Amino acid sequence: MLRSLRIVVWVVGLLFVAGCAGSLPAAVEGGGDEKPLIRLIANTWPASELNVNVAAILLRDQLGYPVEIIDLDEQAQWDALAAGDADASLEVWPSGHGERMAQYIDEQKVVENGGELGVVGKIAWYTPQYVVDTNPALASWEGLAAAEAAGQFVTAETGEKGTFFAGPLGWTQYDQQIIDNLGLNFQVINTASEEALLAQMDSKYQRQEPVLFYFYTPHAVFTRYDLAEVTLPTCTQEEHAAKVADGAVDCAYPDDRLIKIFNPKLQQSAPDAYALLKKFNYTTDDQIEMLGMLDQGMAVAEAAQAWVDAHSDVWQSWLAE
Amino acid sequence: MSMLRSSLLRRGEPAWQRRLPVGLAALAALLLLYHLFGQSLGEFPVAWNLQLREPLDAFKKWLVGSRSMNPLFLYGFDPLSGGVEWVIRRAEEFLLWLPWPTVGSVLFWVGLRVGGVQLGLLAIGCLGFMGGVGLWDASMQTLALMVASVSIALLVGIPLGIWSAHSDRGEAALRPLLDGMQTLPAFVYLIPVVLFFGIGRVPAVIAAVIYAIPPAVRLTSLGLRQVSEEVVEAGRAFGSTPRQLLYKVEIPQALPSILAGVNQTIMMALSIVVIAALVGAGGLGTVVLKSLRQLKVGEALEGGLAIVALAILLDRLTAAVRRGDEAGRGAAAVRRGWVPEGAVKRLMFGWRALPSSVRRHGWLWGGLLWGSAVSALCWALGWVDFPKEWNLSLAGPVDAAVRWAQLHLYRIGESGFGTGPVSDFMSLYILAPLRQLFAELLPWPALVLLAAAAGAAVGGGWLGLASGSSLLLLGALGMWQGAIDTFTQVVVAVLHVSVIGIPLGIWAARSPWVDRLLRPLLDLLQTIPTFVYLVPVIMLFNLGRVPGVIASVLYALPPLIRLTRLGIRQVDETAVEAATAFGSTPHQLLTKVQLPLALPQILLGVNQAIMMVLSMVVVAGMVGAQGLGLEVVDGMQNNRMGQSVEAGLAIVVLAVLLDRLTQALARR
Repeated sequence: MLRSLRIVVWVVGLLFVAGCAGSLPAAVEGGGDEKPLIRLIANTWPASELNVNVAAILLRDQLGYPVEIIDLDEQAQWDALAAGDADASLEVWPSGHGERMAQYIDEQKVVENGGELGVVGKIAWYTPQYVVDTNPALASWEGLAAAEAAGQFVTAETGEKGTFFAGPLGWTQYDQQIIDNLGLNFQVINTASEEALLAQMDSKYQRQEPVLFYFYTPHAVFTRYDLAEVTLPTCTQEEHAAKVADGAVDCAYPDDRLIKIFNPKLQQSAPDAYALLKKFNYTTDDQIEMLGMLDQGMAVAEAAQAWVDAHSDVWQSWLAE
Repeated sequence: MSMLRSSLLRRGEPAWQRRLPVGLAALAALLLLYHLFGQSLGEFPVAWNLQLREPLDAFKKWLVGSRSMNPLFLYGFDPLSGGVEWVIRRAEEFLLWLPWPTVGSVLFWVGLRVGGVQLGLLAIGCLGFMGGVGLWDASMQTLALMVASVSIALLVGIPLGIWSAHSDRGEAALRPLLDGMQTLPAFVYLIPVVLFFGIGRVPAVIAAVIYAIPPAVRLTSLGLRQVSEEVVEAGRAFGSTPRQLLYKVEIPQALPSILAGVNQTIMMALSIVVIAALVGAGGLGTVVLKSLRQLKVGEALEGGLAIVALAILLDRLTAAVRRGDEAGRGAAAVRRGWVPEGAVKRLMFGWRALPSSVRRHGWLWGGLLWGSAVSALCWALGWVDFPKEWNLSLAGPVDAAVRWAQLHLYRIGESGFGTGPVSDFMSLYILAPLRQLFAELLPWPALVLLAAAAGAAVGGGWLGLASGSSLLLLGALGMWQGAIDTFTQVVVAVLHVSVIGIPLGIWAARSPWVDRLLRPLLDLLQTIPTFVYLVPVIMLFNLGRVPGVIASVLYALPPLIRLTRLGIRQVDETAVEAATAFGSTPHQLLTKVQLPLALPQILLGVNQAIMMVLSMVVVAGMVGAQGLGLEVVDGMQNNRMGQSVEAGLAIVVLAVLLDRLTQALARR
């Protein structure tokens, strides 16, 4: 018995040594390269991967950098950038990272704010189109405030109140405040992850049942579900900030201007790559165009390449001195 | 017999010890009356909080700020993790550089060697599946990660096990540590591990090692402690040094148990694969996470099943090493005519002409030669990547099945039955009242006393004291409310597991075909990453406490079914025959003879089920359950490490408490 175990250990050990030896030439080749490796962080959602793939193509083909894309959790990425284990993440939603932005960027200065991505995120309340089709009044908050409206959205968890499915706890949310201040008979149920929220929505959607939930654009799901935004009272950015301070929010979410975050040492170690990433800026429509390609079955890297091929006018300006 | 003896023993206990539980429970009842009709006893006092949160958060902040300049990191952790990362990456590259038939044929060779042709073919089947669902590269990455994690876990775990076998103090010191490592959710230490070891493969390896070491230590220690004194004495009498005694006597004797530990270690390490993807380790976990994010259940299941295939491959290989008696195996293969006697040896090289060292490791050299030959052939033919055309996509049919279930199982026709009504019923009539009982009706001091009473009743005064203090500790961690929520969900989940699992276990013990049908299903449930069910359970049972309970029940069923079946099967033949001779009906046989005799095993199964349910607490939090799991996730998402750690420690306290209580009950 010991002998066969020893043999297995031997085989594994030899494979390991052979593995190191076998790939040594490749490693040396990589190490001999002039330019340092740029490590870009992709989070688990498609838009984040698309941004990073576009940047990777440009860094590789236009500036000659070796690039590695690391799939990483959006919370863990802050520590990775602060420690210098990665160089940049290109799509951060300020509404979901308030505490970390204050600590890592403003206070400790261990992560650099790389400026806006150009894509504007919008958080809002959504309900499926079929709900609005049967009762057009539900397309706005006034309709939801009507006496019988909340009853359609009841679930076992909220009793006689309507259920409002909110986002993960880490995201900025004022939904309970909005509900209370607008006098709606709803109760917020928090979800712990975006997957959970979407799964709940999908479940209701397939059975064509009413559902009201927190969501945001741009997002790949809008190509798959026909969703309608529920209009809330509007207010300006300043009014909203004041209401947040008073704990009296009763209007729609302000726009979320997505940002990029960098390892602060990137500017020294790879100045031209830093300059490119800093100028990297495109529109919500650019992202939606690529999301559409993914929906038609293209791989992420292919969609990014297709966009790069078609839009040199946009990215040429990122390369300029 | 044993029950009789234990009741006799109990009669011998001092009177106060028998009355203690009753007294404590009576005191709890008095408190309840006072709470209801006198003055409210209020919430758990905030002043007793241990105040762990602020220092932990401050430490994390300091670490984030100073990491890039701290010499401990610059010259300690960074080079260390850099080195390990380098080795694992080279191993990944090597596995991907090899043509896929080489990996297959080498594993076939190993399978043939340790377990015969069937095992070899199984190895090929597993690898074929990974390639077939289009996940060859990710699987090889995960395989490399697992090999590294398991090697490190064994390198640390087996020596620790040897130490703990030889030193009672060592064992006493290690036991709480191992309990903590096994029950602390990986989410709690993931961020701290990233702070110390950076991102990538290394933090994943560390997390896997933390989780996977305990069985290696425990089973090594157990095996060594079970070596009979006489054998050791004999060794000593022949003048063995302690070293010789260990290597030549004790370890060979304890080998089956140590190898069982290796097998368990591999299984535990594999359960970290998805979490590893959160910290940038890549591999199959990334596939699962990305697919779930887009609700692609089918793709997530493909990733999950590739992990299952990897688990089956590694499990069967190590189990075969454990069982075999290599000569017997080889001979069996020859007997069955699978392998002509000596043919391999004679065909491949002039066997006798080779030096003895090569002959001794013939299978090893043969395997390398065989692997090289296959590689050369494949390179010549250009068969390097797994062919894309060999596609057994499961995603389409699986997605269709999930869609169908969503539409047709949620409410079955007009019957008023289905997953939706079941979910509502559980939520309204089981979970909500139970939570109300523990969280609102019973005041906290009464719960502390009741826990102490339960401890005293099953395990005597000391266990009572420990149980009561554990509850106080939960409160002092600031997690009273979360712990109560989690506890009610655990109770409900374990009740369901018992109601479903024990009858299934009995049925499997009595009917071979049920057993045969259940076995692969249980293997699947135990090895498929729990993340894979996140989305489908919400789709069928709605967000909230119910899907968490359902997911926990699915995960915790296998050990209870297995142990129940084992317990009934192990009932002494003579007892069964005697009962039959006295004219027992099969029903009487079961309820009067088999079940009572199998009770300790069944209770052990319940104990295992409780531990499994507790290890699902964080996943339950992700599907909307309130409680400690949500506290962990919330802390992680909002940059409050202290909160995650407190909630994680509360889970450990709860797990250890329930473990000791049920174990004491099983011993009775």
